[in-house]
Amino acid sequence: MARDGGAADGDRPVDIGVRGLAVTFGQPRSVLSGVDVTVRRGEFVALIGASGCGKTTLLNVIAGLVPAAAGTVTIAGTPPAAGRRDICYVLARDALLPWRTVMGNVEYGLELSGIGREERARRAASYVDRVGLAHARDLYPSRLSQGMRQRVSLARAFAVGRSLYLMDEPFSALDSQTKLVLHDQLLGLWESSRATVVFVTHDIGEAITLADRVLVMSRKGTGVVDEIRVDLARPRSAEALQADAHYHDLYRRTWTSLKASAQ
Amino acid sequence: MTDVASSEARLDSAARARGGRSASIFAARALFLAVILAIWQGAVALGLANAAFVSTPAAVAQSLWDLFKDGEILPDLGTTVLEIVIAFALSVVLGIGSAVVLDRNDWLNRIVSPFLTAFNSMPRIALGPLFILWFGIGIASKVVLAFSLGYFIMLLSTLGGLKNVDRDLLLMARLFGASELRLFRDVRFPWALPGIFAGLKLTLIYCSAGAVIGEMIAARRGLGVLLQSFSGRFDVAGVLALILIVALLVMALTSLMDLVERRLLDWSKGSTDVPG
Repeated sequence: MARDGGAADGDRPVDIGVRGLAVTFGQPRSVLSGVDVTVRRGEFVALIGASGCGKTTLLNVIAGLVPAAAGTVTIAGTPPAAGRRDICYVLARDALLPWRTVMGNVEYGLELSGIGREERARRAASYVDRVGLAHARDLYPSRLSQGMRQRVSLARAFAVGRSLYLMDEPFSALDSQTKLVLHDQLLGLWESSRATVVFVTHDIGEAITLADRVLVMSRKGTGVVDEIRVDLARPRSAEALQADAHYHDLYRRTWTSLKASAQ
Repeated sequence: MTDVASSEARLDSAARARGGRSASIFAARALFLAVILAIWQGAVALGLANAAFVSTPAAVAQSLWDLFKDGEILPDLGTTVLEIVIAFALSVVLGIGSAVVLDRNDWLNRIVSPFLTAFNSMPRIALGPLFILWFGIGIASKVVLAFSLGYFIMLLSTLGGLKNVDRDLLLMARLFGASELRLFRDVRFPWALPGIFAGLKLTLIYCSAGAVIGEMIAARRGLGVLLQSFSGRFDVAGVLALILIVALLVMALTSLMDLVERRLLDWSKGSTDVPG
């Protein structure tokens, strides 16, 4: 049911293609059925929906963590698989190793990607700097606030430079002020990476602030029921958007759609 | 930014306060010890307690001196230390090794876990005479008795740590492409390390108890043999002096482990005093 993008986006190659997807977890009643989603390369797509609508499950199918019972899923033309070298998954919880410092945690993703020691340190330092944590590089996660921990998690993710980022409500535990700061940092990291992002959230403002398209998922797990194209100019500032009338129009439009999807 | 600066400032002042406190705590400990010794010595001097039963601090000190002055105790001390070291090393290596195997092999774990619980529930000390019957009067029977206590402590504390590993950390590492070996090295093992250290200290205590008690049952040499002969002669000061030696030995080794632990686990210290 997903409508593909307009003329401008239509030229870009498809990065994720989901056709007729069903997920059952081995039970008679399916969690997802008949889901169609297309995401183009370099696009930032937000998946939004009531809790239990299967948005995280859809993300996990794309990540190769959950098998599809029916339908096809392709990422850059190949089927999904966990641990693929072109995908990075950012979890809802920061998942920082408590025994590694900020630098050590950012280096960990690079280490597992087989990057040499010097290049690793150089890249990690640059990304730690970009999320504004240069002063905290040698601190352990137990010394950091929740917002700082999530920034380390973002730095770790973008330092490895993958072409597809899957994010599962990474900011859901943060207060609204901290969220705005993190939104700007995520947008900054994403804009220079030009990666494709699928971002799961239940926060309408967050979805509009970040995404090119917001896909509203039906509560019954039957896939995408509405699509809101977010035609706000980039680069965006999360804080400036709070005073933008068009942002609030989009917010209302998404809200109505989300409410209808929950009926 | 400001949140770090202020928490760092707070940590600095906390560290200074700790430094200042440690001197006064040391003084208070010395005072506590002096008061206990004074009450003990005073109670005997005032006739409230019988020196034949409770001895006196001075007599215990004299016994300690007598034991060490001509090196009479050294062969016994050496034997006991050797038994403790062998039993401890075996407990640690085999305990951690079995925990890793059982953690990675749920099928095996489910088969053997009731047997492990059953064996661990036995009063191993009561098996002492049997161990002597099976393994002889030499050090082997004491090592077995001490090992039978230490092995399970090491196994269970390591297994507990490995089992409650944070699933998100494993998932994160796996999604970044970590192999099973790296998952163990980078996530499972460091996660279990605090539990392992707690186990190491308990294992040492139980291994030394096992060795000494084994010697008390039957042995040619060891602090337990001396303990038996002192208590047979109603030499209370001698018994207390020997127990003090074992306690000091275990404490010295434990503080060595504390030192290693503080260096390896410095990431976890003070994790509770920063809010948010």
